[in-house]
Amino acid sequence: MIIIGGGATGCGIARDLALRGIPHCLVEKGDFAAGATGACHGLLHSGGRYAVTDPVAARECYEENLILRRIGRKCVEQTGGLFVRLPGDSKRFRELFLRGCEDVGIPAEVISSTLAIDLVPNLNPDIEEAIRVPDCSIDPFRLCLLNIRTSELRGGMIFTRHKVTEIIKSHGRCTGVKAVDQTTGEEKEIHAKIIVNATGAWADIVATLAGSEVPLTLVKGSLVITNHRLTNMVINRLRQPSDGDIIVPNEAVCLAGTTSLAIENPDNLLIEASEVDTIISEAGRTIPHFNKTRIIRAFSGVRPLLKSKKADSHEITRGFQIIDHQNGLLSIVGGKLSTFRLMAEKTVDTIMTIFHLKKACETAEIPLDGQEELSGYPLSKRLADMTNIVCECELVTRQNVEKIIQQTATRNVGDISHRTRLGMGPCQGGFCTFRALGIMNDMSIISPEQSMEMLRGFLQRRFKGIRYALWGDQLREEQLVEYIYLGILSMEKPQ
Amino acid sequence: MSVTEYDAVIIGAGVAGLTAGTLLAERGLKVALVTKGEPTACLSTGCVDVCSLSKNPLSGIRSLPPEHPYNLVEEKTVKQSLEKFLADMKDAGLPYSGSADANRLILSALGTSKISCLIPSTMTAAPQENHDGSVHIITFKGLKDFYPGYIVSRRRSTTFSVYDAGVSTTMSIAARFEEKDFFERFIAWMTQRGIHEDGIAFPAVLGMESAADIVDTISERTGKPVFEIPTIPPSMPGRRLFNALKKTFRNKGGTIYWSWPVAGMEKTGNIVEAVTTPSEGRPNSINARAFILCTGSFVSGGLTATREGILENIFNLPVYVPGPRDTWFDNDYFSLNHNIGKAGIRADASMRPLDAPWKNIFVCGSILADTQILKNGCGHGLALATAHVAAQSCAEYLLDEI
Repeated sequence: MIIIGGGATGCGIARDLALRGIPHCLVEKGDFAAGATGACHGLLHSGGRYAVTDPVAARECYEENLILRRIGRKCVEQTGGLFVRLPGDSKRFRELFLRGCEDVGIPAEVISSTLAIDLVPNLNPDIEEAIRVPDCSIDPFRLCLLNIRTSELRGGMIFTRHKVTEIIKSHGRCTGVKAVDQTTGEEKEIHAKIIVNATGAWADIVATLAGSEVPLTLVKGSLVITNHRLTNMVINRLRQPSDGDIIVPNEAVCLAGTTSLAIENPDNLLIEASEVDTIISEAGRTIPHFNKTRIIRAFSGVRPLLKSKKADSHEITRGFQIIDHQNGLLSIVGGKLSTFRLMAEKTVDTIMTIFHLKKACETAEIPLDGQEELSGYPLSKRLADMTNIVCECELVTRQNVEKIIQQTATRNVGDISHRTRLGMGPCQGGFCTFRALGIMNDMSIISPEQSMEMLRGFLQRRFKGIRYALWGDQLREEQLVEYIYLGILSMEKPQ
Repeated sequence: MSVTEYDAVIIGAGVAGLTAGTLLAERGLKVALVTKGEPTACLSTGCVDVCSLSKNPLSGIRSLPPEHPYNLVEEKTVKQSLEKFLADMKDAGLPYSGSADANRLILSALGTSKISCLIPSTMTAAPQENHDGSVHIITFKGLKDFYPGYIVSRRRSTTFSVYDAGVSTTMSIAARFEEKDFFERFIAWMTQRGIHEDGIAFPAVLGMESAADIVDTISERTGKPVFEIPTIPPSMPGRRLFNALKKTFRNKGGTIYWSWPVAGMEKTGNIVEAVTTPSEGRPNSINARAFILCTGSFVSGGLTATREGILENIFNLPVYVPGPRDTWFDNDYFSLNHNIGKAGIRADASMRPLDAPWKNIFVCGSILADTQILKNGCGHGLALATAHVAAQSCAEYLLDEI
């Protein structure tokens, strides 16, 4: 079996197949969680958000919420969530919400504004009331790595930074893929009995390689990241789902969003200044401090939603669908990060049926592998090694960087960032990427020319992320980094 | 509570502020300089970029658009300001070379040639155009802000070796070079290595006060040209420049108030009488007859950008804002042409801020509008030139007033 796509769904399918003893291979064109998985709030829904508009999705979310809290303690933070009602927000929606939660079985407790402010002191003091639900914060990247761990332990073959360029067909059936190593340009040919297309927003592009199609509505959602953790609970607005009404704490920061705009092409996403302003002003209604806090980055992801004629993308179902193209290719589309495990289970069930295999799914019972090695944030250890710290914002040491390079044999600085948080802090890699690439050259992983090219590429990608959040201290930081690279280091334009 | 009255108070301890302060103090005026901390000059390469648009900095300046603040300075004043800087730095023990007639090249830590005008003596031996001799770099074990690989990527003939100084940060290695024993051991190690390349280069960590002597000594003992390569901050050459400017200002009788962030002002009519700081337990306001604002641009905090606009933080002077927020930056990071580089205070030929009511406030340095410092390569050079004009206008105002 070949899985194309290393998002949560693809990684979940790899784990499920591994637990059911089916040989498989995963091919991903970038790093894990590079698409919608990594470009979302990192919210493990309680289901509350869909309780009114989409009860099926709401039920799935709640059931998966319970499962993931059990099996993934090291990537789920049980923050709890509040739906807050502001003056002027519809009371009718509140009734619908409570009834929806009751129908689905989501525990929802109405609490007073006083208690809500006790729980989250930064909340707008004018709120009318709040409803407490079991929303959680989830680390999407870590989630993917832990899922992949099981696959690796059981002989799964994983090729990240490999782009599928061709789906090989024989007598009308898909029998394999050709994948190109994005670093070396080397081509691999991999054969399998069945191919699963778990490429999210890219599903139609990949299906086209096999002469099939996947009807999708692509909806861009933009988010901003703050420099501080302004709330310890997930904050939702108690109203019809709309722009900028969710704030999720994640480690030391918060993510707020999203917007919702239909687009055609999942690559080269652009963000409008007005989207950022909308998110900040909406988030500022529930947490007023949001208007003054430092935004370190804005980014966009693409939701691969099932094709729908509905004009408002907030109303399109968050349900998922497995499409059997009847030629050895299955596509799994729609769904949410919160329901990735269920999507994987149903996909693998479909495959088992096709091949008349019996083994049942175990992914909901067995805890994720590799969690025992995760130590959280051993701050004391990191500080003890202060002189070797290469990323001052996130306290990443030279040894951390060297270890990841040895473990993954990566030649891509992004892979190091994802696994160590290097460059994720307020300076957004302005200092440490220069160092990480220098270290990679010291270790002879990349040539001097590559380190230079990668530094240029990094600075341009970095700028795309922070370009929309440039005012206040983040603009100061950016002017400093620009002064360093274009002034002190006199770096030229890329060729 | 106010204890002292000065003729002039300078706000900001960068190249512009310390230079303006020195010029006023030399005229016998009573001058204080207030600063919230160390200036961004400490982060710089220490080189004085005058204008990098042309081989001759003065013709580069002539090609600048009419709104550029260099146009408020006469050419002879630009020249004088550079000559004065060379003389002052020589006296302070930090010799520079170069002149207003020709730009020079220094080698950057990415292996590019950076164009500048007045160069500290520790960098003058860097390869110039049509001079592509081989270079051997000596770097230091664990130094995280310098990677010779970047230089090798452009200059394949470059070789390097690594010395273990026992410490690994820029500041601590520089401190070791000030120790005689360490330096002797280091020289012995170097001579033993037998370097065959045409020149020897180091990351800019060769000492603090004695950097010029250290470079000369290594050059004498090895018989080869030796130069430093500036890299990402903290920057020793920037810090040496700051120390030398500070020393000059104090030698002329200036006073510096450290950790003195200006939070407000006292005024009567169109005259500012004092600046104030929120600190407790010490004088919290300083009176003066005139003020020179040299707080720099965004990085140093002279200007603050908000989502709605751009503010000057001390006197709330009118700021030239280059359009709405989404036009401040180009999509191309490397364009050097971001509109944000034009933001700042516009001034008249006496360096008084335009459209402001104050008679006794002058501005100079990178807080000025339309500088486009990165694009035009005019950092410290513009600071020196405009400081000369601001100090001259300020002195004239003070004389007239009496």
